[in-house]
Amino acid sequence: MTERPQRQMFEPGTTIDDLKEYMAPFVARLGYKFNTETEFVDEVLESELEILADTGDIYCPCRVRSGDPKEDAKIVCPCIPFFRDEFAGLRKCWCGLFILAGVEDGGELLGVMDEPDGDVDVPVFLASDVPEGQIRHVKVGKTSIAVAHAPDGFYALSNVCRHAFGPLGEGFMDGCHVMCPWHGWRYDVRDGTTDHPNADVRTYPTTERDGVVFVKMRISAKR
Amino acid sequence: MRVKLYGLSTCPYCRMTKKYLASNDVEFDLLEVDLLEGQEREDAIATVKEISGGKSFPVVVIGDEVIVGFNKVRIKELLSL
Repeated sequence: MTERPQRQMFEPGTTIDDLKEYMAPFVARLGYKFNTETEFVDEVLESELEILADTGDIYCPCRVRSGDPKEDAKIVCPCIPFFRDEFAGLRKCWCGLFILAGVEDGGELLGVMDEPDGDVDVPVFLASDVPEGQIRHVKVGKTSIAVAHAPDGFYALSNVCRHAFGPLGEGFMDGCHVMCPWHGWRYDVRDGTTDHPNADVRTYPTTERDGVVFVKMRISAKR
Repeated sequence: MRVKLYGLSTCPYCRMTKKYLASNDVEFDLLEVDLLEGQEREDAIATVKEISGGKSFPVVVIGDEVIVGFNKVRIKELLSL
């Protein structure tokens, strides 16, 4: 019988600088950066180190653990991938440790909880991470989308093929079309249309700013 | 008006909220959920979930209004500070 691998935690003795060094390049790939209020950043990270000493991992200092490892994994910092839509609306993560890369003054967001109703530009990845001819699955809140890099730019469509529910984000690009990886159904990524009757998929507007790809979506997630 | 603050001892926004209320001489009841244990903790988490819809802090209850997050603007409005 093979033994189930055990989850590895952070080393004891981890410092604030260790956390910064490890997190900064990761959140940059998600379209975020550390808050420009450096004292505030240190305060949050200091709290995370206390939590690390208590629990063995760097859980969000502003949310409570439920005891269910699967649920609690979603509030290990940085938790941006699990709350993309909500954080895009706030322009920061729940703690304000991270802010959208395009926000100049993170101090203005402290103590502000504007959650716009309606459509929000949600950053999904850096344009340079998905070269032309590639497609990638991204989960935004509860919605699974596929973001394709076609010859004339980025397009976002539902990740779910209408044939047998295959994952289009794992499919193969052919010009402006994606072939579902399961049975090859073809969709035009620009408008979600397919030759099969009644099988078109939903599309979402995309934009690219400062090297980050955004998908316009309706905020649905609630804490 | 009765003010109740559900917070976590580790949460910077909870500290800011406390400071903000105190500096405006607002009296409030404070419950730091992460410092509770056992049933008490579970009950507090359930209450927070029920009134706020989630498990994010701080949660400030002013009368019948529930504010999730440190929302200075809204607190100011509700308490006419």
